[in-house]
Amino acid sequence: MSQPLQPPTGIPDETDRLMGRRNFLRSSAAFAGLGALAASLSPLRDLQDYTSVDEFVQKYYKEMTPDDMSKVIKRIEDQVQRQYGIRPHVRDLKPMDGVEFVYCLNLTRCIGCRKCVHACVAENNQSRNPEIQYIRVLKLPHGSMDVDKADHLYNPPAVPEKGYFYMPVQCQQCHNPPCVKVCPVHATWQEKDGITVIDYDWCIGCRYCEAACPYWARRFNFTKPDIPKERLNPNMAYLGNRPRKQGVMEKCHFCVQRTRVGRYPACLEVCPVGARKFGNILDPESEVSYILREKRIFIQLKEEMGTNPRFFYYFEK
Amino acid sequence: MSPGHKRPTEKSLRRTNRVLVGVTCGFVALAVAMLASPWKPSTQARIPLVDPSFLEQTAWRKSYADLAREKADLSDFECYVCHEKKNPPPLRYDAEHVLIVPDEHSDIKMGHGTHNRNNLCYNCHNEGNLLTFSTRDGNELQFAESSRLCGSCHGPNYRDWEAGVHGRMNGYWNHQLGEFRRLDCVNCHNPHSPRIPTRQPAPPPHPLRLPFVPGPSAPPATTP
Repeated sequence: MSQPLQPPTGIPDETDRLMGRRNFLRSSAAFAGLGALAASLSPLRDLQDYTSVDEFVQKYYKEMTPDDMSKVIKRIEDQVQRQYGIRPHVRDLKPMDGVEFVYCLNLTRCIGCRKCVHACVAENNQSRNPEIQYIRVLKLPHGSMDVDKADHLYNPPAVPEKGYFYMPVQCQQCHNPPCVKVCPVHATWQEKDGITVIDYDWCIGCRYCEAACPYWARRFNFTKPDIPKERLNPNMAYLGNRPRKQGVMEKCHFCVQRTRVGRYPACLEVCPVGARKFGNILDPESEVSYILREKRIFIQLKEEMGTNPRFFYYFEK
Repeated sequence: MSPGHKRPTEKSLRRTNRVLVGVTCGFVALAVAMLASPWKPSTQARIPLVDPSFLEQTAWRKSYADLAREKADLSDFECYVCHEKKNPPPLRYDAEHVLIVPDEHSDIKMGHGTHNRNNLCYNCHNEGNLLTFSTRDGNELQFAESSRLCGSCHGPNYRDWEAGVHGRMNGYWNHQLGEFRRLDCVNCHNPHSPRIPTRQPAPPPHPLRLPFVPGPSAPPATTP
């Protein structure tokens, strides 16, 4: 300041206005407010992989050209590599011609060991914290099919327990799926090989399908899925086991990344007693055709709902 | 001073100050709360990863054919190291007509058939040549063909096994696209006591809200 300092007078002037209590309080309130605004936006720090522009404008699966799909696959592979440090192999597998999948499960053989549950979790990159498991094994007493009285939290020292039988339940891939009917955005539909699939990038997470499913087959991602890096399965499919994001539904899809190239699903390959049977019902020489021809006692869960599942439970005797 | 601007009174100044201080403190408290986030479940107990033994696809037992393929030690199957040719060992029974397994074969627990119906070694083993099996209708089978021996009595299960319906199949359901593997009977069933033993299950599903109190902890199951 070029002016020489003046002794203070009792009359308020320019300097007093700028350095007064009022201004100090105003400016500190504004500063604190701005600081608090910045701090309140701190949850945005965790949103690194929330969505990219490509993901946001991505087309519906059924409208994508092969070019679009290859770009999307590259985006997914980049994303997974960034998050987990492993470059996956993502494919868009189409249904095979002349194939309709059916699953048969032998309830005389199932011992309730839950190996299928964990093999599925490992194969399909499901969240471990919180836990998502597509397959739920129900323990029922002999002679009862009342699933409302089933116990799914059993943990005895050894299975099978006398007097009970075990029934693993997963998506039944119904002929008449209620989940497909209620989806408001058509993010889920049934393909011609019978598998009901979900486009995870189209799902809005309203959970109507979870409410509609009579078998509680559909799971919701309440948080970002927690997949341990060392157990990530890099062999992925777009409609199958690629890592999902927070806020979308997921469910058993008969391991599309395996079955659409001709392999058995993961739950079947790990079953120690061979209770699970899978195959093409349109092939008269497949195992499932043999079972439906030769065995006598079949159960479709909740038959009265009219969903007509592709999952047949049977007993030997 | 601009026209119409009244000089603020002492009282209104104090009120304004209090309001501003209150708003500032509120914002600062909000900032602290957002940064510290005491309601975030950061210290919640984590669900442990499942034991990798529950993810294995290996069969419970190895068959003679498996051991031969792996060029493993087959000395257990050389019966004539101890036994005499043309002199089959006699079978001994106790008072309840239960087979007495000799001490040299103490690892064998006989339990084939209900009510001890099948407790006769020579129902399967060939008296004339201990290195082969003999079926009831007179066929002689090698050790590696043990499944046909089982099938000679257990027809329906054998036919199901051949169709891939009994026991587990691995590999490709579409046989044109890849190989499939079928296990032998003895890969799952101990031929001397074939009933599948009980085993420890994998842990039950955990609920969303932790901590989760699990069921009774289990010692690992033993296999005969």
